[in-house]
Amino acid sequence: MAIEKIDHDLCTGCEQCVLSCPMDVIRMDEEINKAVIKYVEDCMYCGFCVDCPEKAITILPGPTQSVTLGWG
Amino acid sequence: MSLENLIEADVLVIGGGLAGCFASVKAKEQGADVVLVDKGYVSKTGGTPYAGDTMVFNPEWGHDLDAWMEQVSVLGEYVNNRQWNEIVFKESYDRFKDLESYGVKFLEENDEVVRLPHPLSTLDMPDKDKFPPIVSQVVHWLPGWGEAIRKHVEKSGVKLMERVVICELIKKEEKIVGAVGFPVDKEELIVFKTKSVVICAGGGGFRPPGYPTHELTADGVALAYRVGAEVTGKEFVSPMTVGSLEPHPGWESMYEHFSSGHSAALPGAAKNVPFLGRRINAEGEEVPHRGMSWHGWIDVHHEIHAGRGPLTMDGPGGRKISINGPGAGGSMHGHATAGIFSADTDGNVGVPGLYAAGDSLGVQFVGSTYSGFGFATSYASVSGARAGCAAAEFARKCGDGSLDRDRVEDLKKSIKGPLERKGGFSPRWVTEILRSYMVPYFVMYIKHEDRLKAALTNVGFIRDHLVPKITASDAHELRLAHETRSMVLNAEMKLRASMFRKESRGNHYREDYPKRDDPEWLAWVLLKNENGSMNVYKKSMPEEWWPDLNKPYDERYPLKFPESA
Ligand SMILES: Cc1cc2nc3c(=O)[nH]c(=O)nc-3n(C[C@H](O)[C@H](O)[C@H](O)COP(=O)(O)OP(=O)(O)OC[C@H]3O[C@@H](n4cnc5c(N)ncnc54)[C@H](O)[C@@H]3O)c2cc1C
Ligand code: SF4
Ligand code: SF4
Repeated sequence: MAIEKIDHDLCTGCEQCVLSCPMDVIRMDEEINKAVIKYVEDCMYCGFCVDCPEKAITILPGPTQSVTLGWG
Repeated sequence: MSLENLIEADVLVIGGGLAGCFASVKAKEQGADVVLVDKGYVSKTGGTPYAGDTMVFNPEWGHDLDAWMEQVSVLGEYVNNRQWNEIVFKESYDRFKDLESYGVKFLEENDEVVRLPHPLSTLDMPDKDKFPPIVSQVVHWLPGWGEAIRKHVEKSGVKLMERVVICELIKKEEKIVGAVGFPVDKEELIVFKTKSVVICAGGGGFRPPGYPTHELTADGVALAYRVGAEVTGKEFVSPMTVGSLEPHPGWESMYEHFSSGHSAALPGAAKNVPFLGRRINAEGEEVPHRGMSWHGWIDVHHEIHAGRGPLTMDGPGGRKISINGPGAGGSMHGHATAGIFSADTDGNVGVPGLYAAGDSLGVQFVGSTYSGFGFATSYASVSGARAGCAAAEFARKCGDGSLDRDRVEDLKKSIKGPLERKGGFSPRWVTEILRSYMVPYFVMYIKHEDRLKAALTNVGFIRDHLVPKITASDAHELRLAHETRSMVLNAEMKLRASMFRKESRGNHYREDYPKRDDPEWLAWVLLKNENGSMNVYKKSMPEEWWPDLNKPYDERYPLKFPESA
């Protein structure tokens, strides 16, 4: 369950997703002025970033965390 | 001490959910100079943005206070705080009006705000007639409400500092004089010098997969506990089940609203309420909701324990949702119940200059079971407003203090510790280990002395041997390191409180003590730091809040635990 992709052809560098990610998963790449996925392992699949005005962000429900965390 | 990162204010509010927004706005209205700090972005972090509704009590809408109080007492099984129940009910309408004046829009029909019943009151379930009528009602805010509140906070002149984590309070001569934190993306510390502090940092779980509150790590409770405040309600769990591989069943439908571009789970969530749908076990049998027990979901865990899991429910769009979850020992805290204890009605937590509100404040508003829709947000609004006013008043009366420089230097050094350590443990690994001890259903849901003790032994090891050696390579990981430390403390609290309450009540279920024990346990469990060790004791409820002990047990407690059913 995690953010999958930020489409740099669409991203305008507005930084909205960086601010709205509660887990600080996304940061700006200052050189290209685009948002990048920096700490994907901390994504909690909340969906706030999907509000990107350019619809540049895809998140996917597939498992990313180890099964040891639950019982089954 | 380098002073370039020193922020001074009358009142520091930690956390900008509904409680923190109300606290800061009300403190500002009292004339205080207020700084509101949040580790995320206000309106996009904490529990608040997910809430779809809020409870409003209004006699002009035909609401009857006694009936509402009865609902909370019977469902909360008599360990709810009736003094606070009355306050929140009575003040909920004023806070609703405040929200309207801040620009929040509510669901309306024919120019009237729509009031919706508690979904439980519309459910068909066995034994329903044994419960009091479920009378509480909610109103629904419309998407954009979080942004409206945020704008109002900014407009009112509150200084907003976002993406800054607070990790220690500064105490001087028994009084709170400030706090230390750091930005999530910069390795530099910020010192706050203030006259009072309001903790509105929400609750805390153990970052289970599929439940989107991973930033809620019980930081607020940890901050207060370390400076000597009492904590309560930790034995009570939240009902939200989570799957190891799938989102919480309620979350799936809420998520659809996000992906369709809303920043709030509304108003469809209420219409859907999938977690109240028909539950079918792996053998194809229906597992009826028992009384109001969905709040504890203890029966679900029994089905799973019996090998008949996972259960499924009908989800949105005809999809089957699997409830295979080990439960919310990991997902949420017992919201509107557990937190920093206050014996007062203004959020003062017994340490001069320190206040709390919302999910951080433990006044056992709902007692042992979350008994009403919309209660948590109303409670956050009302307690936030009260704590904000009281903290401003305290700041006005107390003179200008000063910081103890040596103490501040010590705190700064220990906060930065994980960055400077050459070797040790990753915070993510420690979190994962902790989670695997705390999340399984047989630890936090179907509890037993033996298993609680075993978990406590392991959590004690994590506390003593792993937490002091957590490393961080940058500010982002430093935040994770501090959050992990809070979660480990929270785990110890939950285990000790659960072991101490030797009975079952509401959503605290002990396999080895499967009944309520009124003579012993019409009481709150309190935890306090005494010279570095966690003391556990209880405080009896006022006798006038007790149930009628002459009534037979089954009448006092219409909800049957699975064993005694
Ligand atoms: C999915 C979901 C659905 C819900 N639905 C409803 C509902 O429909 N109705 C209802 O009444 N209730 C609902 N609740 C519960 C309700 O949202 C919360 O109880 C309520 O919003 C709590 O408000 P709060 O201000 O106390 O805390 P929160 O909103 O959790 O805010 C805490 C804030 O503190 C910040 N913070 C935490 N630690 C730190 C730190 N160390 N430094 C700086 N900042 C920090 C966080 O970033 C966060 O912004 C729901 C909760 C969830 C998770
Ligand atoms: S919100 Fe969208 S457009 Fe803005 S920085 Fe993020 S990805 Fe780019
Ligand atoms: S889904 Fe949530 S946690 Fe994950 S990147 Fe997007 S905003 Fe951040």
